[in-house]
Amino acid sequence: MNKKNITVRTILYISLSIVTVIFIFPFFYTFISSFKGKEELLAIPLRFFPSKWHFREFFDFWNYGDLNFTRYYINSIIITVGAVVLATILSAMSGYGFAKYKFRGNNFLFIMILSTLMIPFTAIVIPLFLLVSRMGLANTFPGIILPMCLNAFGVFLVRQFMYSVPDQIMEAARIDGAGEFRIFFTIALPLIRVPLISFIIIQALNVWNELFWPLIISSSNNMRTIPQAVALFAGTYEINYIGQLTSSTFASIPTLILYIFLTRYFITGVSMTGLKE
Amino acid sequence: MQKLQTIRGSYYKRLQNYGYIFVLPTVAMFLLFMIYPMINAFYLSFFNWNLVSEKTFVGFNNFKHLISDARFLNSLKVTLVYTLISVFFFMIISFWLAYGLSTITKLRRFYQSAFFIPVVLSIVGTAVGFRYIFNNLGIVTCITSSLFNTAIPWLSSVKIANYTTMMVIVWKVAGVYIMLFFAGFLNVPVVYYEAANIDGAGFWGKLIYITIPSMKNTIILVFISCVIFTFGAFPIQYVLTKGGPSNATEVLALYIYNLGFKQTKIGYASAVSVVYFIILFIFALIQIRVLTSPND
Repeated sequence: MNKKNITVRTILYISLSIVTVIFIFPFFYTFISSFKGKEELLAIPLRFFPSKWHFREFFDFWNYGDLNFTRYYINSIIITVGAVVLATILSAMSGYGFAKYKFRGNNFLFIMILSTLMIPFTAIVIPLFLLVSRMGLANTFPGIILPMCLNAFGVFLVRQFMYSVPDQIMEAARIDGAGEFRIFFTIALPLIRVPLISFIIIQALNVWNELFWPLIISSSNNMRTIPQAVALFAGTYEINYIGQLTSSTFASIPTLILYIFLTRYFITGVSMTGLKE
Repeated sequence: MQKLQTIRGSYYKRLQNYGYIFVLPTVAMFLLFMIYPMINAFYLSFFNWNLVSEKTFVGFNNFKHLISDARFLNSLKVTLVYTLISVFFFMIISFWLAYGLSTITKLRRFYQSAFFIPVVLSIVGTAVGFRYIFNNLGIVTCITSSLFNTAIPWLSSVKIANYTTMMVIVWKVAGVYIMLFFAGFLNVPVVYYEAANIDGAGFWGKLIYITIPSMKNTIILVFISCVIFTFGAFPIQYVLTKGGPSNATEVLALYIYNLGFKQTKIGYASAVSVVYFIILFIFALIQIRVLTSPND
């Protein structure tokens, strides 16, 4: 019996390890290859490691053509911070409101918000573009940020967790004279701190990596985001093979570093919300 | 101590109206940026419009045109194949890997983190990387040609390109579903398994009669999210193959993008969007109906 167990277990560990290699290999390989010289990239026979490491050329993509990655980096940061802050405020407030107050239309409005999960982004992309343009927000930060701060999952999540905040605490605070917003900020929110942080991280990940919407709404060079810029290397600038690899490696590094430090929050966040991407 | 009788008072009733203050900003945003555009898409689909001149009302013409539009039918086929096959592999691979995770004890954290890494990488970054990896002279081709003696044109073959994109998306997102399934596995009460062991249940027996029924809700959730997600595929096709070769990977989202933003056929693009939405809607309804009713 024990022998069978050991063989089963070793097979299990081996197969999991093989899968791990499959999961990690592509990024690792792209990363290594970005240090190859241009000649070596698709040479025959293909080598895994570069024979000569081109460290100095790694950042050549930064200002290639009319690209300006400093600007794109800043853009991505502004957009991510803006969208995440807004998304958190909106989701937290509405989740709290739905959970803790009985008002007419509570259920109806909640279901309405939940039903937007059914609306595929592709279906509304064009009218949304028209709407944002008509609001005069095309190619501006608010124009990019506003549609990306809506997260129905967030509303659902916060409402779920707000149910576990005891009503008695709120009552006690009211008796002591606390206003509703005070109760929300200083009592309810801190109590759901952990899932809230996970939500924030997942939302940040989604917004940072978003390609479609910024692609559509930004038309000028200085409003591009990092995903857009990297996509350009696959399109307009595709003859710059090294640039493709180096920029794509770079695009993944910020989120990867964040992930290494905050793994726990990423994983719990995803099991709660089901990542959009 | 009895419950606070103030609960029936008018102060309490007025208090409930605070709910509106908390909720309405979000509701307004959703109405403005999601529901209104959706309605607008329906509206626009009855017109022909190229953004500069006047809209011209054409009734159901756009929809009639859809039915015979070869490129639309192609993108529909591409998307359906892509969705069905990817979801199939998503479910199986994620389920098995999550199961594996739930049975091992030692290196669980390590494997968990490893499986999740592709999820946190930039999707554009990885797509560009895969263009290199799947290049006809790239490393995957080298490996397969030395092992199997055939050079497979991963990205340049009209027949195979779609499957290559499926591989990429499963690689990228499986981690999410693995975690969801994993959480589901952990929630199955251990006592069920113990009882089954006493009754002499085998591996498959336990799987079919205990694990899967207990995880029914998780499975449904994963399945529905997976379908909705894959049906809306865009970044991978846009970056990896640009819809090629010869539109072999032009999914609906990409077709709508091309129609609306490259050809500025706004009305027609809206019509396609409406059809897209309706298909997805029917999908979801069927799934919910099929997967939830018989057991309740």
